[in-house]
Parts: sequence; structure tokens; C-alpha cells
Amino acid sequence: MPKITMIEAITMAHAWEMAHDDSVVVLGEDVGVNGGVFRATAGLQEKFGKERVQDTPLAEGMIGGMSVGMAAQGLKPVAEIQFMGFIYPAFDQIVNHMSRMRHRTRGRLTCPVVIRTPHGGGIHAPECHSESTEAMLAHIPGLRVVCPSSPARAYGLLLASIRDPDPVVFLEPVRLYRLVRQEVADDGAALPLDVCYILREGTDVTLVTWGAMTFETMRAADQLAKDGVSAEVIDLATISPIDRDTILESVAKTGRLVIVHEAARNCGVGAEIAAIVAEHGLYDLQAPIQRVTGYDTVMPLARLEYEYIPSVARIVEAVRATFTDH
Amino acid sequence: MTTFHLPDLGEGLPEAEIVNWHVKVGDRVQLDQPMVSVETAKALVEVPSPYSGVVKALHANAGDIVATGAPLVDFEVEGGAAKAPAMRSPPAPKVDPKRADDSGTVVGNMPTSNEELIENVIAGGTRGARTERVRAAPAVRALAKKLGVDLELLRGSGRGGLITVDDVMTSGKGARSSPSGPTAGSSAARPGPTPPATGETQQLRGLRRGMAHTMALSRDTVANCTLFDDADLHAWIRKSDYTTRMLRALAAGAQAEPGLNAHFDGESSTRQIFARVDVAVAVDTAEGLIVPVLRNVGGKTADQLRGELKTLKEASIARTVAPEDLRDFTIMLSNFGTIAGRYATPLVVPPAVAIMGAGVLRHDVVAVMGGIEAHLRMPLSLTFDHRCVTGGEAARFLAAVIKDLELAE
Repeated sequence: MPKITMIEAITMAHAWEMAHDDSVVVLGEDVGVNGGVFRATAGLQEKFGKERVQDTPLAEGMIGGMSVGMAAQGLKPVAEIQFMGFIYPAFDQIVNHMSRMRHRTRGRLTCPVVIRTPHGGGIHAPECHSESTEAMLAHIPGLRVVCPSSPARAYGLLLASIRDPDPVVFLEPVRLYRLVRQEVADDGAALPLDVCYILREGTDVTLVTWGAMTFETMRAADQLAKDGVSAEVIDLATISPIDRDTILESVAKTGRLVIVHEAARNCGVGAEIAAIVAEHGLYDLQAPIQRVTGYDTVMPLARLEYEYIPSVARIVEAVRATFTDH
Repeated sequence: MTTFHLPDLGEGLPEAEIVNWHVKVGDRVQLDQPMVSVETAKALVEVPSPYSGVVKALHANAGDIVATGAPLVDFEVEGGAAKAPAMRSPPAPKVDPKRADDSGTVVGNMPTSNEELIENVIAGGTRGARTERVRAAPAVRALAKKLGVDLELLRGSGRGGLITVDDVMTSGKGARSSPSGPTAGSSAARPGPTPPATGETQQLRGLRRGMAHTMALSRDTVANCTLFDDADLHAWIRKSDYTTRMLRALAAGAQAEPGLNAHFDGESSTRQIFARVDVAVAVDTAEGLIVPVLRNVGGKTADQLRGELKTLKEASIARTVAPEDLRDFTIMLSNFGTIAGRYATPLVVPPAVAIMGAGVLRHDVVAVMGGIEAHLRMPLSLTFDHRCVTGGEAARFLAAVIKDLELAE
């Protein structure tokens, strides 16, 4: 099996599905000739032609609208938004059309669109290139929001997202694109959507996170283990709808919950997870729920970027607080 | 000599036009000093000097179009091999995206490593495998912590084994005597009749705890309004049996204004007015306030009332009152005057809507026709729930009570 990066896994998933399903088309800015701003679609136009891999003008609203139209006519568009900070012009199409096509047509039409976009910061990019506004999308009924945290999950979850009959926003943690390599079989096997992935089993505290923050969270778990604290690490993977059962079962086991996300705190997805556990798992909690998040401001530029992104130390500190501050 | 290459000033922009230079060959420049203005397809950009040093060569003139990654300026850098800060060092020169040494981004720096990720991942939870762990509300956990009770040693009596406040309270502090669960009857946990005045923090238990709860409920929900007056007992033939006369007077009041012999539910804004008068009589005991109920006060003779009252009081002090004799009252009576105090503002306990308090009897100087006399008078305090009882109703009720109390017998 090849050891590949997340970006290669994403390209591989595209190629597999395009080879096996003629209705899959790729569109976006620079996805064709250039192979994508991060090379996610490198080589696809050469292999599948300009009809199926289309460079679009710099117009995200149009990319969204084209995708809706293609999906309504039987295609399975996989659209790339170059950076999450540029997704907002497409919100009209995503919120008013994609997410409610099934509802509007009383189930006659679904909207099998995948919108891929890089997620989060950590690569010293300029403003508007480091967004993690997944909560805005998770709030929309009818929209699935997925965020892989490893090459294997990027491959399996992207395949599942393309095959899913409903719209999926597929958030790709940009910091992880090339950070590590993993053995991934190019066998076209999808992974289940709508479930969490337990990255590490533990008994003392549940750490729920997703995307690039799995990196710091796993390191925090390593550090905690040295102090005798056994942390269970859950990768949310599908941000909406949330697999509440896995989280509640874990909290019932550990009695403590720390949520880690890169996005700003206010009304973040962490608040929803905390509410779910407060509603359904309150009696299992032995300590107040903790959140370790970005701050309620925009992601700063390069020098302060890692002040904003939750650090291993901040995560460890929050876990410690669940053992002392109550 | 250090060469500065034209960085990518946008996202994958292939080239930029030199608008004008702010430095010339031989100039000594400082880090961040404006060096050159360039125009890209996106914007006019000021490029600051990435180094402090001396400009040795400019590779383009104003108006030239320079490819991204092409040499732009040669520097003699001060301090020899000084490196430009990471942000300012341009990314790798623009290359064919298909080439293997592609940096993988045209924005920022893409972190890479040769680290191999080895995961042992479980998709979804181990459905249904609930562990045997203590389940308790946060308030119960806090209480247990305060009392030093180990929840692990208790068996929860709530739904699904949930540990309740009562489980913690009845466990005794630290579950010393009964590690396996709540002690039956819990009588041992009650404080003695004369608590030692040691200044120690005591947990309220039993009756006193119940009082704390009902009084807080009254304060938080009832619109308590109190009316004061006196009943002149000068006409009484027998100067005794105050309580039975008061009970009878309450029944008379309820007959005049049934709205005070009622239950009120504030949540649904509904009330029930009762024909039968069931009076809760406050009994003071060493362990706290206990309030047994005398049923159908209006339908009983003075002797019957006296007998029942005696039985209930004895049972109260012995703590043997049946639970059904402690609930479903329609009105309340507090006879604090047997101890001291003329007037009070007693609190209505929901769902009832009225409580009457009787103070210390006293001979007052009263003006009577043609002179003054000393009359025995009973101070009365009637509190009603103003959410569902009007002031007029309460006053008419109190007037009827006084009228009945002032009868000779």
C-alpha cells in the first residue's frame, strides 16, 4: 500500500470515483490546468478531460449555482472553493438551494453536491485564508458537514460524500494536507458518514475534536498519559449531523468532557456538543464541561497564528481543570 | 551576496510589473524599508526590503514585467548570513505544479514531514455498552463533596440508579456507619433537640430542611400580602379554648369568602375553591415546624376539634403523624401568640392561598361609648396570596373571622 499524504488521498479519491462513475464532475477555480491551489485535483483534467474537470471563473456564487443545476440534472459535482474564506458568496446557493432541494421537491430531487474547501489555519497564510467557520454550515438543516483528520479518512469520507445523495460540505484541514503520510489502499472503499471515529481509547476524560486539532489533541493525550490520565480522543469527523451516541457513551464511561476546536468559541460547534451532553448526559458528568478553542476574533497573521490555535498546553490545562476546579 | 527573488504576491500569480524603485544600487537599506512598488493582476503592492544591508544590483527597471521567482535585488547583507524572517522569505519559485518538488501551496508555507501516521481507529462507539458509573446531578455531586460523602458507596434510589439529594442526605456524613447504602428510617441522622452552639456548619435535615424548601417556594412564587386587625374577646364567657375558637372562626371566614379556602396553581392560572375547610395547624417542636391537618373544621363540634387537635399535637411531637395527615390542607393557622409576638407576616404555603396568625392575647385599653375599658384582644395577621385573592375578599374574610371570634361563645 502506498504511504500518501492527505492531499494525495483526496486526489486519489477523486480519481477513483471519476473512473467508476461517469456522472462525477469536478469544477472550481484553477482545478483543471493548475491542478488546484493545493494540488488536490492535480492530473485529473489530463486523465478525464476538460468536460469533466472544469476551470471556472473566480465566482463562488456561480460555482455553487452551477453545482445545483448539474446535480438537479443527474450529475454529481465535486466543487472546490479555493479557501473557506471565499465560500460566503456561495452561501445563497448552499443555504437556499442545495440544502433544501430535497425538502422543496418533497423528496423528488436530491442535491448530490460535494463542496470541498480548505479549513483552518496554521500555514502562515494571509487574511481570509485560515477560516474555520464550520458552525455556520452546521447550523443549516439538510446540509452535511464533514471534516477528515487523516489521509485514510480523507479518502474514505470523500468517497462517501460523493456517493451520498445529499449535499456535503467537505472541510479539508489545510495544516494536515502534507503533514504526515499514511498507508491508504486505493480500493474505492468508503468510510461511514455520521459517525465519530475514536482515535484513542481512554477511561478518565473524553476529548472531542475534529480536523487539524486532532493533531494537538492526540499529543495532549500522550502527555496526559505520562501523568496517569487516560484520555479518550474522539474525532467528530461528521460535524453535522453529530453522532451523539458515541460521545454520550464515552462521557458515560469517563465522566469528563473537554471539547477542542480551532474555530472561535462563541456559538461554535463545541457549544452544540456541550449542549447535547448537558441534555442527555448531565448525570454522568463529574466535572463541568471545558472548551478549548480559538478566540473570538479573526485568525491572526503568521506571528500569532499559533497563539490563536489551541496548543497542547492549553488542552492539557483544560483537562487538569476538570479534575480540580470544582 | 544575497539575492532576493520576486515573491508570489497573490495566489499563484505568475508575474508582476515593476512600477518604481525606492532604492538604487549602493543604497544602505534597513529591514522593512520600502524597496519597490509592483503591480500584480490583483493589486499595487509595496515590497519592503527583506534585509538590512547594501543594494548591490537591481535586476529590473520600472515598467519591466518580472516573473514570480525571478531574481530581483542583490544585497550585501549586514552581519553576513542574516536570514530574512520566515514570513518575508518568498516561497519556492513558481514551478510547474506537476513537478515533484512542488511546495503544495501558493499561499503560506505548507508544513510537511516524513512522519508516518499509524492509527488504530474505531468507527462509532461501542453501542450500548454502558458502564457502571455513578450517575448524579451536578448539585448532588456538589452536595456530596461538601458533606464528604463518597457517591461511589451509595446506591441511587432515583430513575436508572440516579443518586438523589435524599440518598446523600440519608447516607450520614461520609457514610460512616452504612457504606452499602442509605440507612433505613434515617432517624439516627436527625439532630438532637438541643443542637450544640459550637459555630460549626450544620447541614439542615428533616423538618428544618423541609421548611427551608417550602418557605423559599413561598417567597419565590406567592404574592404574600398581610392584613392586621384585632378581635375583641371581651364578650367571651369562657376564657379558654382559643385554638378551637380560631378554627371555628376560620370556617366562618371561609363561609363568607370561600376564595380564601382554596388552592391556586400559578403555572396554569387555575384555582380550586373548597367547601370543606381543612386547616393546617403549625406545631412548634424542637426539631422544627410540623404542620398537621385538621379536617372539616366547619363540620365539627368544639369538643371534637379539641380532641383531634390534642391527638395531632401529641403525634407531631412524637413524629408519628401519618403522611396523609400532613398534606392536602385548604388554609393554614399559626398560633405563635402562645409564645410571644403580636403581629407577624406569616407566609402562605402553596397551593393554599391564606394563612392566619394569632398573636399574644393582651388587655388593651379600648374606647367604648362613654369612657374607656380594658378588653382582652387577640391580634390577628392574615396573609393571602394576592395573585388570586383580592384585598376586598381578604378583608371581608378577616371581618367574618373577627365577628365569629367576638361572639360570646
